Amino acid sequence: MALINQATKEIQLKIVYYGPPQGGKTTNLEKVHAEVEAAPEAKGKLTSLATNSDRTLFFDFLPLETTVVRGYKTKFQLFTVPGQVIYNTTRQLVLRGVDGLVFVADSQYEKMEENVQTFANMIQNLETLNQNLINIPYVLQYNKRDLPNAAPAEYLDFLLNNRDIQVPSFSSSAVKGEGVFETLNMITRMLLHKLLTESGRKAA
Amino acid sequence: MFTLPLLINEDIAVVDTALGEFVAVSGARLALFIDCGGFIVTQQGEAGELDTTTLGALAANNFAATQAIAKIIDDHPVTSLYQEGEEHSLLIVSVRDFGFLAIVFASELGVGSVKYFAQDTVARIGVQLVAAHTRAPDEGLDLATLNLADTGPLFRRRAAP
Repeated sequence: MALINQATKEIQLKIVYYGPPQGGKTTNLEKVHAEVEAAPEAKGKLTSLATNSDRTLFFDFLPLETTVVRGYKTKFQLFTVPGQVIYNTTRQLVLRGVDGLVFVADSQYEKMEENVQTFANMIQNLETLNQNLINIPYVLQYNKRDLPNAAPAEYLDFLLNNRDIQVPSFSSSAVKGEGVFETLNMITRMLLHKLLTESGRKAA
Repeated sequence: MFTLPLLINEDIAVVDTALGEFVAVSGARLALFIDCGGFIVTQQGEAGELDTTTLGALAANNFAATQAIAKIIDDHPVTSLYQEGEEHSLLIVSVRDFGFLAIVFASELGVGSVKYFAQDTVARIGVQLVAAHTRAPDEGLDLATLNLADTGPLFRRRAAP
């Protein structure tokens, strides 16, 4: 849930990168951390709790600040979840208080079933937390487009973006940094829009 | 990079014996040896209805988060964690760089005695894993690479002749 601190004029929003194992969630954050243009104080440290083989164990965390919104400094907390089946409870913990989601799908043909299962798992975990995906802004990122066995984006849209309301989707190659910032900018825009719309409604 | 050295039956037998003796002498309910990724290598004691798979994963998460906090506050790495419950408590002790011993015990037992008996068990397991590593220094295991969601390659129909 967005935290609005009236005293310090700060807004905190939590974005979680969700997706199948080794799909590119951590790579997204690494690229953002490495390449984002931001003042030193606006970009926090990338904290990665991972195994020796660099598989996310608990989460990756990157705090980012952006320009002021209506007099408020906006802080985004970017998290990734571990993708493996064994860490489902961990994913629930990381999902708590989520404001926005980026679903990072692996575009390889052989990963389609995992993509669909992980998406269903995400919905299930949100329901466990008494949340509904309908109420949470999210975007889809079709990663690993650079690989030769990448399925067409239209196929991924058919599998993952075939709900009543379609959401923005982005092709990406996170390892090359392609599509990473486009994805991030869209989800932050959606979150800020939701926040401003809701605050306007409350003021009225 | 591997989280565990290559383990053979003899290694597991030694770890099982150490855990079994620990459970018997300390009165703990359950002792699990978990790798750094939270995967259970072996366990002894009475698991009952406990979801040990999730317990292992969360214990590893907890330890990793605590180590990160220790780094932030410029402290030495943590070697043990204690969670006090009303009926059952949990003690997690690191076994060198190989993993953890996660011990579930009745709270009335007291963490001091459990920790005391765990020291020897941790040392015995550590010695055996070092021996395993020395036996095959370039080989190892990373249980995190087992992707349980994808069992497709496990069994395949033989191609027709």
